[in-house]
Amino acid sequence: MKGKPLLSPADPGQARLIVIIAVLIFVPLGFSVVSQVSRNRAESPNDFLEKPDPKYEECVRETSYMRFHHWELLRGIREEVVRYGKRSDVGLTKCSECHTSRERFCDKCHNAASLTPDCFDCHYFPK
Amino acid sequence: MDIQFESIEGNSWTYRITLIVLAAFTVIGFLATLYVIDKGIWVTGMTNRIPWGVQIVMAVYYIGLSAGSLVISGLYGVFGKLEYKPFARIAVYIAMLFLIAGLLSILTDQGRMDRVFIQPFVHFNLQSMFSINPLLYSGHILICVIYLWALFTERKKTTKVVATLAFGWAFCVHSGTGAIFGFGARMLYESPLLPAAFVAAAMASGTALMIITIVVLFRITNRHVDDALILWLGRFLAIILLVVLYFLFMENAYRVYVVELREAALYYLFGGWHAILFWFGLIIIGCCIPMFILFRNKTGNSVRWVLIASIMVVFGILCERYVIVLPGLMHPPEMFPGMLVTGTGVPEGIAPYSLSVVEVLQALGVFGAIGFLFVWGLKAFKLLPNEAKALV
Amino acid sequence: MDRRDFIKTAGGAFLLASSGAYAFRVLTAPSAGWMDVDFTPSGRKWGMVIDMNKCREDCTACLQACREENNVAFVNDDRYDIHWIRKARLQYKEESENPGKSVILLCNHCDNPPCAQVCPVQATYKRHDGIVIVDHHRCIGCRYCMIACPYNARYFNMKESEEWPNKDFPKRSHGVAEACNLCAHRLDAGKMPACVEACARQGCGALYVGDLNDHSSEVSRLIAKSAVKRIRPDLGTEPKVYYIGL
Repeated sequence: MKGKPLLSPADPGQARLIVIIAVLIFVPLGFSVVSQVSRNRAESPNDFLEKPDPKYEECVRETSYMRFHHWELLRGIREEVVRYGKRSDVGLTKCSECHTSRERFCDKCHNAASLTPDCFDCHYFPK
Repeated sequence: MDIQFESIEGNSWTYRITLIVLAAFTVIGFLATLYVIDKGIWVTGMTNRIPWGVQIVMAVYYIGLSAGSLVISGLYGVFGKLEYKPFARIAVYIAMLFLIAGLLSILTDQGRMDRVFIQPFVHFNLQSMFSINPLLYSGHILICVIYLWALFTERKKTTKVVATLAFGWAFCVHSGTGAIFGFGARMLYESPLLPAAFVAAAMASGTALMIITIVVLFRITNRHVDDALILWLGRFLAIILLVVLYFLFMENAYRVYVVELREAALYYLFGGWHAILFWFGLIIIGCCIPMFILFRNKTGNSVRWVLIASIMVVFGILCERYVIVLPGLMHPPEMFPGMLVTGTGVPEGIAPYSLSVVEVLQALGVFGAIGFLFVWGLKAFKLLPNEAKALV
Repeated sequence: MDRRDFIKTAGGAFLLASSGAYAFRVLTAPSAGWMDVDFTPSGRKWGMVIDMNKCREDCTACLQACREENNVAFVNDDRYDIHWIRKARLQYKEESENPGKSVILLCNHCDNPPCAQVCPVQATYKRHDGIVIVDHHRCIGCRYCMIACPYNARYFNMKESEEWPNKDFPKRSHGVAEACNLCAHRLDAGKMPACVEACARQGCGALYVGDLNDHSSEVSRLIAKSAVKRIRPDLGTEPKVYYIGL
């Protein structure tokens, strides 16, 4: 085995290694492409999501942030509330005041991106 | 002395049937675990008063077997007893597998198995034995892998270094496991002796398991092993059993002697099913009869009798794990000393516990998985020596 | 460099790097405020006083209020029932015909909580205002806290609970440990816990919750002027639930 060059396609073991590396590269790549496509699909039309109650002008952050990072925001709030007792006006149950339907607002997008957050197992959000 | 290591052929029907049976066990255990995930932990017979059951007993037992087997490999690696070199590879392999078995048992016992792989490694709590032990366990598996690598590539110096490290680490691992109970708040757990007693019991069960493995495997695969090697291990086992008995005696003597623990101690020694396991399983079958067999000249010099004694010890130590984990939970913590507490909606007083089918199936599944890996490993790796001779 | 060497080097480097990074994480954890808890004292320390002389034996208003407020599962099976607050009867072992007395039991919110000490993921922890709380998002369900608690005050969600009377408060999923949280969400909002309010509505007023650090508070006055007892303070857990007339 010693002294062989790093790449010699004639060696069957070498071929196997190349296959393994290819799998390791291409499988995650494929996943990311698929998820990117589904994400883009979810991103494009504004009417995909249910429009909130018009009497509220805007959300707590701008739409582009909320669309992709609302979970980070919610998780941060969760840590603050659960671990430090710092209650704020923003939170999962507060979302439902404007976005009144979980099916048309949350689930539609989560389903399209095949995400299954378990928040609603325990936290109430009207259907 | 030149030893050739080889793998077994693995073409016989016995081999295949063993593999199939073990695989079936694994599948059964897997299905049982899926059932638990679906229905919730209560199907394993856990209640609010008895939160730990067979799975934890088995986990502790497996981890003990692991630490004990590693000690046998240390005979060659650390103390340089060349005649035990033939068993070094298989001992380390078993040690690694049983630690994985222990971790599997703990994993399948958790309420939220999905979080086990993330949360304990992200949020530490170094005040908790449950947080320190995963570090010890993962280190133990890593050391076993490096040890195996050093043995397979015949690196003498590395072997010595890693073996010494593994030897010490095995003691830490098992003391840590004992400390989960020994540093606990329950009356029948709390004892600084418990980690040491755990290590002694681990060495006894590990040695006994190695004797069984070696004798049975070598006989099945028609390999020669000198009787002297097994007999020496038998004598080693007898001495460790003395230490186990000593720890058991001291612990229970202390509990009976100290007034505030006396009631709990009497419950432990004479109060129900676990008392039968304690007296007959642990003391008589697990310690006294094997010691009689091993110390007696006539039986102690026969491999067959040593094998029988080893089987008794392996069973006895399983009983020991049971009587450590469960009576300590059944016996209630005293909130109001001297008072009788009733009518609360939670069972006060001595809590009832009985084995449930599901947890036994889960334990069987873990055993099947590890047995499968072991039997498969005999074929895949060069674990067995061609022969094992005593030094003349 | 040939292939074997390359793989060995790369694998070794990867192992070394990852274990090094992990060790770094473990070792630097203590210096970086390793308990995930805010230790800045808020000045407050919530405590409870239970006046057993005022408590009516047949009344279970506090238990009911707790279940409704906190969505506590109740399946009427004493192996799996969860009682954040419960009532028990105490008798002397020698005098079995003596009816004994009833006592309200709940999580003692210890100052040295053994449950928080043993939690491997810091899911159970003591908040800066002294409330011992379970982070249900983090609990892995190992049940070590139930073994460590000397007061039998911790429970496990064996079954998925479908009861959800109070939609403002989350219901519990299965597989996590839980105990009384002294209605932290209500205290943060400036209200009294549900059991205290229910007890006052019944006209008993046997339960008091207040700030132990504030010497003018009702609980501090009660502790100062009456003979109070705690359950097993000799264990060193420093329980913060005080009993009058126990």
